[in-house]
Amino acid sequence: MRRAMLFLLLCVTGAAPSAVAQTAPSDKNGKAVFDKWCAPCHGAVAPARGMFGGGALPGTAALAVKYKGRVPAVLEERSNLAPGFIRTVVRNGVFGMPITRKTEISDAELEDLVAYLTRKSARGG
Amino acid sequence: MVLPPNVSEADFSAALGEFRSAVGADWVFSSDADVALYRDSYSIYWGEPEERVASAAVAPATVEEVQQVVRIANKYRIPLYPISTGRNLTYGGSAPTLRGSLVVDLKRMNRILAVDEKRHFALVEPGVSYFDLYNHIRERNLEVMLDVPDPGWGSPVGNSLDHGVGYTTAPFRDHFGSHCGMEVVTAEGEIIRTGTGAVPNSDNWQDFHYGAGPTIDGLFAQSNFGIVTKMGFWLMPMPEAYLTGTVTVPRYQDFDPLIHEVSYWEDLGLIGMPDYGSPIGGGFFAPPPAALAALMASGWPSIDALERFVGVEARPAWSVRLHFYGPEETVRANWQAAKRRFSGAIPGAAFQDGEFLRLPIPPEQEPTLPDKPRLGIPSLEVFAMVARNPSTANDPADGHADFFAMIPRKASAVWEAARVMFETYREMDTPAPYNPFSTPINYYSRCFIMAAVVPTWRDPARNSRSRELFARIMDRCAERGWGCYRTAPAFQDQLARTYSFNNNALLRFREKLKDSIDPNGILSPGRYGIWPASMRNTRA
Repeated sequence: MRRAMLFLLLCVTGAAPSAVAQTAPSDKNGKAVFDKWCAPCHGAVAPARGMFGGGALPGTAALAVKYKGRVPAVLEERSNLAPGFIRTVVRNGVFGMPITRKTEISDAELEDLVAYLTRKSARGG
Repeated sequence: MVLPPNVSEADFSAALGEFRSAVGADWVFSSDADVALYRDSYSIYWGEPEERVASAAVAPATVEEVQQVVRIANKYRIPLYPISTGRNLTYGGSAPTLRGSLVVDLKRMNRILAVDEKRHFALVEPGVSYFDLYNHIRERNLEVMLDVPDPGWGSPVGNSLDHGVGYTTAPFRDHFGSHCGMEVVTAEGEIIRTGTGAVPNSDNWQDFHYGAGPTIDGLFAQSNFGIVTKMGFWLMPMPEAYLTGTVTVPRYQDFDPLIHEVSYWEDLGLIGMPDYGSPIGGGFFAPPPAALAALMASGWPSIDALERFVGVEARPAWSVRLHFYGPEETVRANWQAAKRRFSGAIPGAAFQDGEFLRLPIPPEQEPTLPDKPRLGIPSLEVFAMVARNPSTANDPADGHADFFAMIPRKASAVWEAARVMFETYREMDTPAPYNPFSTPINYYSRCFIMAAVVPTWRDPARNSRSRELFARIMDRCAERGWGCYRTAPAFQDQLARTYSFNNNALLRFREKLKDSIDPNGILSPGRYGIWPASMRNTRA
């Protein structure tokens, strides 16, 4: 419950990034970050059969169970992701999703990822 | 801030300054927020004083920078904990064994130095992931196949150094066993190359692994004797085809001849990792079907009772899926030969043809392809096993700790191990995902594994219970004579104590080596139970 409250708070307020990006965030670069680091779990195209009966990508399948269709299970289709929420989940992890270090996704790359995953929100989509 | 043991704040601050000079200020992480990124996401001590957290982290980009880091650590007696990609989840992740250690994050050392499609090898640095190496191979259409572990974001170097495993044929799925040559920075900052890499100007470092004299490569796996900065691996030539087929056998006691016959194919090197299962027993780690649960209500059933139960169920007792790699003609011929041999060995054996795929898989087919690791394609699909799913919808675990009882390849051992696991869970009043039809994992070709997956949480109360269960499983299996091949730092001392033949002679020998090789005890103190002399009396 405490964790759910934290996420809710971050969704509303948007936490500040831990470092200032050197250049303007790019959603094009953000897609590359997403494809490398996020898509293997949170992608849109699932395998025909899972190794352990899951039959789907773990992140996308988990969000489908969590949201029950209220919002898209595929992150790239979401239009309600808050920047602070994205930063917090990437840096803190959540449930089975682990922490991601700066030697993996730098602060600048994280801002690119934020730009990519919030592009629909920015367009009002 | 957490300081390294027995290091003053002033000395630590001075050391951080020297680390910054060595690798650049951007690559020394010492703020609380940055150091928190090195926590073990699956820690079974999350948020407790015993959680093994780092004091800081440093990320060198070259071997020379690694040498400098080691020299500075010796000067200030700062314990180091090297990680490669830091994704050894379930076994500690990027967190150190000793609280207050300084993590040496090798993720920036990410060069793929060679992939040879004619001599079938690769040479990589520690920060290269299986995804990276796979993409490198596919982009160049190189005719080699990787053997990958379940999570593809790990490092071939790090995975093999923790004795990680994969799925293809026996020579390749033992990742340490398939390495050939390594470069190591010693605790005193010297560079060693093993095998023929020690011959100046050699051009066969990844072709011949022994060199001459005693081999020392094994000292750098699951240990704390050096920092591996390069490692070679033998690769499988890209097979033309992949074919699967499933064998089922009718009776409970057919399991032993089934295992015996599978071992024939396995030990000839003609199949990948076999998938054992039971049509009657339910899925991997799933609760038993209702009829089986009813049979077990009055205790573990006898063999005769189980045989009668199988007869009433009128379904095969056991199954095994076989995986063949090679030219189309030979994989088809091997499957036909397997049918003949299984039929001869086990009356009533039945067969189901599986997939046939030509390799390499076209890129456009990859996303929907099931069983990617079977085909050397990295993925993260294994996390479906522990991610939120319909059965854990409101309460998914935050992580897991895995235990692997190493048991002989025979039915009686599988049955006994399932019962030991079942009874240990029951002692803890915990639902036991084991029954008389539980099946082993065959990662290592010559040995079965009976696995336990214990949930971990970001909740001390729940972790306390998980710790007690995990420790009890390890003890019960050790009492029976079954070791475990790999575990998280939280249990490495306990694991080391289970390998105690002749008054812990093996551990004492390792400790002598430690004292000689790393006199200041700066490298990964406590890893797999090996502590430097100065800390030996304070071990957990």
